[in-house]
Amino acid sequence: MARVELRHISKSYPGVQALDDVDLAIESGEFFTLLGPSGCGKTTLLRTVAGFIQQDSGEVRVGDRRIDDMPAYRRNIGLVFQDYAIFPHMTVGDNVAFGLKNRRRPRDEIAARVTRALELVRLGGHAERLPHQLSGGQQQRVGLARAVVIEPQILLMDEPLSNLDAKLRIELRDDIRDLQHSLGITTIYVTHDQEEALVISDRICVMQGGRVHQVGTPWEVYAQPATLFVAAFVGAMNVVADVAVGAGGVLSFGASPRAVPALAGRDRVTLAIRLEDMTLAAPSDAVPSDALALDGAVDKISFAGREAFYRVRLDAGPQIQAHVHRPERQLLEQAGARLRLILPLARLHMFDPTTGRRIEAEAATAASVGAYQ
Amino acid sequence: MIRRRFDFWSGVLAVAFVVVAVLMVWPLYSIFAASVIDNRSGALTFGNFAQILGHPAYRGALINSLIVGTGGMIGAMLLGIPLAVLTTRFVIAGRDTIATLAVLALVSPPFIGAYAWIMMLGSNGWMRALLADIGIELPSIYGMFGILLVFSLKFYPFVFLLTASGLGAISPSVEEAAESLGAGPWRRFFKVTLPLVFPAVSSGALLAFVLSIADFGTPSIVGGKVRLLATTAFDLFTAEMGGNPGLASATSVVLIAVCMAVVVAQRWAVRRRDIAGSLLRRPSPKRLRPLASAAAHFVCYAIVLAGSLSSLVVIYTSFRKTSGPVFHPGLSLDSYTRILGEVPHVIANSFTYATAAVVLIVILGTLIGYILARRETLASGALDSMLLVPYIVPGVVMGLAFVVTFNVPPLQITGTAMIIVLMLFIRRLPYAVRSSTSILKQIKCGIEEAAISLGASPARAFLKVTLPLMLPGIIAGALMSFITAINELSSSLILYVGRTMTMPVRIYLSVLDGQFGTASALSTILLAATGLAVFVVFRFSDRKESAFV
Repeated sequence: MARVELRHISKSYPGVQALDDVDLAIESGEFFTLLGPSGCGKTTLLRTVAGFIQQDSGEVRVGDRRIDDMPAYRRNIGLVFQDYAIFPHMTVGDNVAFGLKNRRRPRDEIAARVTRALELVRLGGHAERLPHQLSGGQQQRVGLARAVVIEPQILLMDEPLSNLDAKLRIELRDDIRDLQHSLGITTIYVTHDQEEALVISDRICVMQGGRVHQVGTPWEVYAQPATLFVAAFVGAMNVVADVAVGAGGVLSFGASPRAVPALAGRDRVTLAIRLEDMTLAAPSDAVPSDALALDGAVDKISFAGREAFYRVRLDAGPQIQAHVHRPERQLLEQAGARLRLILPLARLHMFDPTTGRRIEAEAATAASVGAYQ
Repeated sequence: MIRRRFDFWSGVLAVAFVVVAVLMVWPLYSIFAASVIDNRSGALTFGNFAQILGHPAYRGALINSLIVGTGGMIGAMLLGIPLAVLTTRFVIAGRDTIATLAVLALVSPPFIGAYAWIMMLGSNGWMRALLADIGIELPSIYGMFGILLVFSLKFYPFVFLLTASGLGAISPSVEEAAESLGAGPWRRFFKVTLPLVFPAVSSGALLAFVLSIADFGTPSIVGGKVRLLATTAFDLFTAEMGGNPGLASATSVVLIAVCMAVVVAQRWAVRRRDIAGSLLRRPSPKRLRPLASAAAHFVCYAIVLAGSLSSLVVIYTSFRKTSGPVFHPGLSLDSYTRILGEVPHVIANSFTYATAAVVLIVILGTLIGYILARRETLASGALDSMLLVPYIVPGVVMGLAFVVTFNVPPLQITGTAMIIVLMLFIRRLPYAVRSSTSILKQIKCGIEEAAISLGASPARAFLKVTLPLMLPGIIAGALMSFITAINELSSSLILYVGRTMTMPVRIYLSVLDGQFGTASALSTILLAATGLAVFVVFRFSDRKESAFV
């Protein structure tokens, strides 16, 4: 259990800046997730902490100690792998005991701790099995037991669920979360699956191209994306690029122009709209003064049981998706019909078209916080 | 993995470079140097090469070598491709037996085929008599016919095993897609299956070509008047009247050039053809109608039995009653008593040298393989490409290069056992490196990192985790090296002296003397050792026939 500090870490490979001045602090006992698409640098960062990659510059500190000059095998860091990396020639028990044997613990203690660790991951009684007799989910539980049994200062997990099928993934995801909670171990978790990250994490760090885009709670990352990239990567989002802004920050996107103070002085803005933030209305319905009205025609309806997705061709040009929770039958028979989408300004995400940074709508922020909570 | 300071692995890399420099670069440089230096004046000259291209006898050897390479390759493909297609696409009873017989043909001593076929198809051969009785007159076994017959039957397993594993890697969905798009069986085979399997087929064909023109024993036993580059280089070097090292070296250089050209051509032909599809379904063999099935079985067994025939004949011959070169009716152990009485040290030498070479090969090969697979640097990349060289340098050439280099100080070791062991070592080292690399590629990197993250030092992680996982592969690789080392003829023939004679050399000399009995007895011992090694390899590699290619 220790606080982890990553100070200004950079790493480049020929032609690629894998990590670009990454500066993060992870609190003791926190479940911290590195989220991003493949090639964003999240695994490089994790492996730098583990000691398998040497950064070009910067420091890795755990507790009060700088650890990046230590070889990997002295760092006392638990590591869980995407492909499990179970030693195929050892029994489950020997796999879990391996780290304790390296630490020359007495035999009785090893036996007791191995048994306890296997019970912790619900594999009690499997110690004598060989890895190939286990399912993928069970193998990853062995990997988890093997990593925590050494009582590491921190636990690193590199996409531990991505080789499992959907049902197992959810089951093991909850188990990992419970285990981390009960042990209170500082955990850095790498994933490209944004839903997994939202569910499992205390805080999320969204990365792209070796840079940190945003660090925040799942709620912050979802509801207040700091950059257009975060907005588009976390959750489903309609992005309308490069919309013209009138004098005084008047946004004439849609049927009812609205003044947005935060846009004053700008002539262009990129908008992002969550699928579930719009409500469906009849073409002639009234528009509240703090909302935009987006008129268009239903292009296609995709029914997915508890929800449905409308693809709407807006009169303003772009095509966007809207989400309907528990759709009624008649709603599914509207293909081709005209409709009006009502979008509260408070739920509109605005980004600078050149930098991709979020434009905070000061007044609107407070309102949107209220709306979400 | 991360630290750049000098560690154990840097030491291994340094040793590897020294070994390669002394045992490969230096000898080959000597040969190249000798090829462009006039024997008498010592001046720089291209006269040797001019003579090879200009003089009918030498030009003939070059042309004959190309014919033999192409012919051996075509023969191997004619036998290997149908066998691969039939055994992978259709239900053939005893597929494992077929594969085993092919592997045995592949690893059996190369020159055995030559004199076994002389016994069968020579002017007094029983098979020639048999065929003559039913009205089939074959051309003389001595000459091109004999060489190509032996090479086709000897090298078809390369094409067979590689093509079979290539065919096994084609998803049946691809062929079904072709069928559903209206391609009939033949069109499907030629337009879809064959192009997909082409890289594998051409690798096998390439091996057959290179081995055919590099082989020395077969053409010198069964070649008659047909001269090839390999035999010419040998004769030029060992001729009674002092020989002609310059011309011999130039011939060797031409031989290397031809091999290299073929390798480059094959690489070019398969460029951007490395088809690595994900294989969700394995192809399953189809059942044939009874008549077609019988025909398919006949073809398969005819091919593998023809390939094994020479070994069977040799084993049988070794047990015949004999007095000197003359055979009498009945069976006996005469030949074995004779070799045990006359040349016990030859048998001992063979096993000692092969074992010594294998120990060196395994140790250095495994360590180098680890470096190449796990620590990619500029230096390891350079080593990797240098280790390709022995693949294209024929044994005769390497033997000549060793003599040229090591019969003068500073490293005067000709006539010793060491030179033979070192020769076996450097020729087979790349194979061990490659097998070690490919084993390591199947062991995920993560496993070692897991061990390290659990507190094992890199050395301990290698010993406790990586090495145990590599062990079956290493043992299989060691036995493969042993098989090729104990059967090595061409380079040993150049490097041996009376004291350091090995079984293949003795067999070769016996055959030239017409002593087929002793030759067969020694060959049978070689076959037994080889067969035993193959059996153990199968145990350690889950019956992967392709492990032998």
